[in-house]
Amino acid sequence: MEANEQLTSAKQLLDPQLQKKIRIKTLTKSSVVIRSTLIILALLSIYAFISFDYKQLDVGEAVLSTFANLKAMFLEPHLKHFTFTHALYQVFVTLGLAFLTTLFGAIIAVFLGLLAAENLTNKRVSSMIKGSVAFIRAVPTVLWVLIFAVAAGLGSVAAVIGMTFHSVSYLVKAYSESFEELDNGVIEALQASGANWWQIIFQAVIPSSLTYMISWTFLRFEINFAVAIAMGAAAGAGGIGFDMFMASNFYLDIREIGAITYFVLAIAILLEMVAIRFKKKLKVNG
Amino acid sequence: MTALLEVNHVSKQFGSDTKALSDVNFSVNEGEFVSIIGPSGAGKSTLLRCINRMIDATSGEIIFDNMNVMNLKKKDLKKVRTKIGMIFQHYNLVNRLSVIENTLHGNLGKKSTLAGVLGLYSQEEKEQAVNILHVLGLDEHIYKRADQLSGGQKQRVGIARALIQDPRMLLCDEPIASLDPNSAKIIMDHLRNISTKLGITVLVNLHQVDVALKYSDKIIGVNHGQVVYNGSPKDITKEDIQLIYGSEAEDLIFDVGGIHAS
Ligand SMILES: Nc1ncnc2c1ncn2[C@@H]1O[C@H](COP(=O)(O)OP(=O)(O)OP(=O)(O)O)[C@@H](O)[C@H]1O
Ligand SMILES: [Mg+2]
Repeated sequence: MEANEQLTSAKQLLDPQLQKKIRIKTLTKSSVVIRSTLIILALLSIYAFISFDYKQLDVGEAVLSTFANLKAMFLEPHLKHFTFTHALYQVFVTLGLAFLTTLFGAIIAVFLGLLAAENLTNKRVSSMIKGSVAFIRAVPTVLWVLIFAVAAGLGSVAAVIGMTFHSVSYLVKAYSESFEELDNGVIEALQASGANWWQIIFQAVIPSSLTYMISWTFLRFEINFAVAIAMGAAAGAGGIGFDMFMASNFYLDIREIGAITYFVLAIAILLEMVAIRFKKKLKVNG
Repeated sequence: MTALLEVNHVSKQFGSDTKALSDVNFSVNEGEFVSIIGPSGAGKSTLLRCINRMIDATSGEIIFDNMNVMNLKKKDLKKVRTKIGMIFQHYNLVNRLSVIENTLHGNLGKKSTLAGVLGLYSQEEKEQAVNILHVLGLDEHIYKRADQLSGGQKQRVGIARALIQDPRMLLCDEPIASLDPNSAKIIMDHLRNISTKLGITVLVNLHQVDVALKYSDKIIGVNHGQVVYNGSPKDITKEDIQLIYGSEAEDLIFDVGGIHAS
């Protein structure tokens, strides 16, 4: 009883202003724009569903057969047109493509990234590199592969060049931003003791950004793995992607697609686990 | 005593209207401990950085060890910089590297590019680093990462990095501004020892007038980019302090008389 009374009196003590609803978000210009965009998008999608031309399609039946397909794909996977070892080998080919392009991309991107970091070069060089890299990044990887295929022919060479190209542009942005994180005072301190540019880069800049660089590179490796699968199908770059292409477009065997998907999934999970391990180790030692 | 450093008619203009230094003149003798005091924005940091050409002065001449620093080419400038150690308010260590690695960074200027890039140091260099860290009381922390240290310990690593250069002069830009009184005293005592025992000239920017008066052989007071006081701490008067810090400094929290007495 007594406790209750105390509670009510405490409530009465509260300033009436505090009992009013307190807004956390204020209406700024950007939040208004974001909200209206979301509302318009929602309305448009509802309208789209209403105005679809469904023809004679029975939506219920379509959904059911889609589920049947998915069931066949994932619950009854099998390998018919090639063996398990072949599939494993092809997965490694795809991994190899991803690894190679990430490695090439990373090596080139370190140097371009140094030149793109504003605190390490002058503003003109930096904005020039950042600008061209932004342009390269804006064009999707697949398109770059197809562009290089004009010269190199559709195949693994075009895939390697195109994927490297896009990896460079992606990693230059990531690297240069982590280089710019470094406190200018550190650079000043080493300059003041007479150290030269290369010494400062390798003794201060890179050690300070190494963890960032490695996590960005891993991220790019994962992206490149996905792209490498697509390249196998779209650009004839070989690997598991090509087998998937054959299974779906040539043999029309959805069960085999299911099996390949499991393969890819397993590899992706494995990569993720390795990446996490590696980063943990680096955090402790680095 | 010979003058190690002479600053003659040095001016520095930033942009078109910020005159950070105007016609600054003073000289510093070998082994002297000199404090530069003055209000915020007076040009103390600019002055210090003009000496090792981290900032290029607009006009005047700076003679260090009988060389005019202002005319030096890149290579000779690097050589001069190896003889001048620098210490910063925010320590400016490479956080991810160990204390000894940070200390050895002071030697980069004397090494070939490749050896510096790869971080290859000779046995003597390593021994010297360990010795210096020992003198500064950092024995237990040699292999710790720099970001695991306290502010006072970080600043001692900063001093170690400057000392391993085997410098003729140390430039210290507010070395104790981020430290508590105890750590500040330790740092100032070390700097004083460096000057007295090793004969290294020390030039310190300070905000703590009492500290400056207590430790220095000479005080240089700067206001609005001009030297308004240049003399011994013993002779400094209340009027001088007012001249340095402006008239609003009437009731500065300390008492000049009290300091002289102690
Ligand atoms: N890079 C720069 N560009 C333009 N103006 C600058 C630059 N550096 C310093 N200044 C100006 O020069 C003047 C002196 O600055 P300085 O940093 O030397 O002062 P300070 O005495 O060290 O001050 P504090 O005690 O706050 O560190 C200030 O007016 C400042 O705005
Ligand atoms: Mg300053």
